[in-house]
Amino acid sequence: MFGFIVIVIIGALAFAAINYSAVKKKSAGSEEMQSIASAIQEGADAFLRLEYSLILKIVIVIAALLLVVVSWYASVAFILGAFMSASAGWIGMKIATISNVRVSNTANETKDIGATLKVAFQGGSVMGLCVGGFALLGLAIVYYVFGVLLGQVDPSHLVIKTNWLGINDIPFTMTVSGYALGCSIIAMFNRVGGGIYTKAADMGADLVGKTEAGIPEDDPRNPATIADNVGDNVGDVAGLGSDLLESFVGAIISAMVLASYIFFTSGHSDNPVSAELVSKLISFPIIFAAAGLVSSMLGIFILLKSNVSAKPHAELNKATFIAAGLTITINAVLTWLVFRGMDLSAAGFQLGALSPWICAVLGVVSGILIGQMAERYTSYDYKPTKGIAAASMEGAALTITQGMAVGMKSVIAPVITLGVAIIAAHSVAGLYGVAMAAIGMLSFVTMTVSVDTYGPIADNAGGISEMAHLDPEVREITDELDAVGNTTAAIGKGFAIGSAALAALSLFASYLYAQAGPKAAEGVDLVLNMINTMTLAGALVGAALPYLFSGILIESVANAARAMVQEVRRQFSEHPGILTGEETPDYRECISISSAGALKEMKIPALISVVTPLGGGFIFGPEFVGGLLIGTTLSAIMLALFTANAGGAWDNGKKYVENGHYGGKGSDAHSAAVIGDTVGDPLKDTVGPSLDILIKIMAVISLISVSIFSKFNLFSLLSSLISL
Amino acid sequence: MAVHYYLTVFPMEAMVASQLEPEQFGAYMALGDTKAAAEQLMFIEVEGGFGDFFDWDFAAKKCNPHSDGRPKRSLYLSVYRALENVPLEALGTMYLVTKDGRSLAIEKDEYKAPANWPGFALYREYCPMSPLAVSSLDPKNYGDYMTDPVNKVHAPSILFADLRVGNLDDIENSGNVGNLYDKNLDHLKDCIQSLQSGKRKMTKIVDRSNFNTSFYQILGEGLYVSSDTGIVMYPMPDRDALKKNHYDWAKSALIY
Repeated sequence: MFGFIVIVIIGALAFAAINYSAVKKKSAGSEEMQSIASAIQEGADAFLRLEYSLILKIVIVIAALLLVVVSWYASVAFILGAFMSASAGWIGMKIATISNVRVSNTANETKDIGATLKVAFQGGSVMGLCVGGFALLGLAIVYYVFGVLLGQVDPSHLVIKTNWLGINDIPFTMTVSGYALGCSIIAMFNRVGGGIYTKAADMGADLVGKTEAGIPEDDPRNPATIADNVGDNVGDVAGLGSDLLESFVGAIISAMVLASYIFFTSGHSDNPVSAELVSKLISFPIIFAAAGLVSSMLGIFILLKSNVSAKPHAELNKATFIAAGLTITINAVLTWLVFRGMDLSAAGFQLGALSPWICAVLGVVSGILIGQMAERYTSYDYKPTKGIAAASMEGAALTITQGMAVGMKSVIAPVITLGVAIIAAHSVAGLYGVAMAAIGMLSFVTMTVSVDTYGPIADNAGGISEMAHLDPEVREITDELDAVGNTTAAIGKGFAIGSAALAALSLFASYLYAQAGPKAAEGVDLVLNMINTMTLAGALVGAALPYLFSGILIESVANAARAMVQEVRRQFSEHPGILTGEETPDYRECISISSAGALKEMKIPALISVVTPLGGGFIFGPEFVGGLLIGTTLSAIMLALFTANAGGAWDNGKKYVENGHYGGKGSDAHSAAVIGDTVGDPLKDTVGPSLDILIKIMAVISLISVSIFSKFNLFSLLSSLISL
Repeated sequence: MAVHYYLTVFPMEAMVASQLEPEQFGAYMALGDTKAAAEQLMFIEVEGGFGDFFDWDFAAKKCNPHSDGRPKRSLYLSVYRALENVPLEALGTMYLVTKDGRSLAIEKDEYKAPANWPGFALYREYCPMSPLAVSSLDPKNYGDYMTDPVNKVHAPSILFADLRVGNLDDIENSGNVGNLYDKNLDHLKDCIQSLQSGKRKMTKIVDRSNFNTSFYQILGEGLYVSSDTGIVMYPMPDRDALKKNHYDWAKSALIY
């Protein structure tokens, strides 16, 4: 089976390389187009270089801490995770900035939406394949080197060991958690940094360029327009890619960690998990994910080789459904092959060999449902968003009010879906089943990332077409592709939130297991006492934390956007020739402002996610952190759904007006809708995606550190002193 | 450097001499000198030297380059009753300038009656007054009526445009028509209905206020300059022509 995984990973990365090269070979169009594209590329490269140099220092510090306090293997796995995630983000952003101008040029040369869609999708597929490929490559290395070669997955080593500080853990769980933490750290900085960058540039471009000076979107006279395009790449490509890579890894490792603890804690029970079964339970998530990667590759191949129609949304949906369908089908066979003929009752499988597959299917179905719900609440084909557009007729206050109402109402249906999926998965295969549901939802992540990355590429292509003054027909093609990208982005966010919720729940169960000591082999009581004041206090603080985190993020975007607004105003004021076309704006200065703003503002929110569980744990102990995780997870899921859907609905409400409804562009309704969109921008593109990572990073940090603060915490120390 | 004469008709009526070419003049007037003024502008290039209302000698003497060689950008010859003192034959190309400084040039043409006359029209007057009116008169007759000294309410010359009227009962699918139909829609419907009911009135004022924005998005067949000597028309290019030949302007004008 390991050979199969290796072949799939090599195949995925080779496919990514082929697509990278195929896109790069395409013509980049006129000199003007190339000059615009190279400015975007330089800006994106410069930001990621600055960001990664900052992250490198943080990675070194965390790796050193893990080395000293936990173990060398957790430290090495952490560095590997950070490297894999950073590589995927870097390559994805690179190809996105190469693809954008080629998409624009294909539209120009062919005037064919299908051919143009193919180029955008081929560019996006590089990111998708890198996310799937690098995530699995790292996991495969971790599994083979630490698990197989160093024996960590050998059943004799799946026991709780105590390190030099007296800290308990099962070594393999700590290794894979370290790997996940590496991915999470990159995702957090890419999402937060990219989110602040992109919205600062977007808002700066809109608030002065569009609103004050009245110049259209993507007009080259707007000094912030290149920064805005750079933002699409660093936020929506590198940020999104590392976010979903982290979700993917988090879901897989949560199943592996659970399997390890279930094996250990059931050791002396009446029905222990067998050595053979635990080996399969640990390796199965990687096999399942590899099959998902194969399915996605087939889906991508089919789309690239078929005659693509002029309906991009339908084509992308078809490719996604092919990948999902193949994942389900192939994995049904694989699951049966892996678990057939075994006694699975010890693992809590209620429906035989196919139990984990059924849970994964539940995850796939609930993911698709959540995506559809996101579309229903954010697409202007449906009533909620049209309602926001209609409310704009009465002014900005009602636009905001209606958007908030839509966002708040949009929370319940996905949450019920998740609840049903969790209950159903648990009743079919226990907590392992819940983790499998998360894996199922993300098993064709390669396809969802490919589709999601296509969006910002098409958006950039539209910008380049506009700035290079290509034919209106070309701009119509790129505009249509961009509009489809907005919907796919909303669906992608639904997947990210849903999978984050499921993965966080699995990680939370792992957290409870991780408090077990070496003598806990007769079972661990997975109960968090909600009437324990520590738990309750933790839950309260945890529920408030996403609000604090979101508030800081919104303020960060506002601060960076304010600097951008001032710069754009300055350039217009000091260089009136910019607007008459006699002078070229200073794009670099705007790029620098966005970069500096993002780098300055992203530290505190990122630190909150790392420091809070550690601080809470070392002061108040594990019950407090347990409550903290529950509170944060619940509150963050609601807030993430609310912000993503409200923001998406405001954005598309504005687009509905701009498409010629309620007076269209230039109407009072349009002004109100623009205000709604501006409010929603940082919510949907900065806050929402970052909240997904907040809950997962807190869960992973807690999982790694719980055995430390269970032993060393101020409250226990004071209690013991008082009792003395 | 040659001296050009421009009759601005929106947002203010004036005769201006300038050494700037028309597009440059439009951008300068819309955007200002040291800061982005962001103001729409409509003007007509005029063949100077006619009559004695405007001081052409003053213009020739004062409209000179600055000492550093920069052209003289604007020299006002009149800010009052300018239109009525320009004969129709002196009018040249009209320029519609967006607030970010892009110009659309429209050539003067002979008057053509509307192809499908629905029985009424919505007129936006630009100069010298600026009300919004509905009328059962077609553009030629409306121009004649508004410049006829027999009427108490009249002007020697008038510049106006006919506006597109969509389905006022389906404002959700209005198209990009700006803020014209945002407010007082019921009043507009009442005005149209009162004309259609045949209650003698040929015109009704919908709005007397002085709009500070133009409605390039909903300009209909064109713009008209009418005086007691006749009428000339500035036909608006259709949407296809705008998209094909003037996309940047149309985008700036919020048509696309």
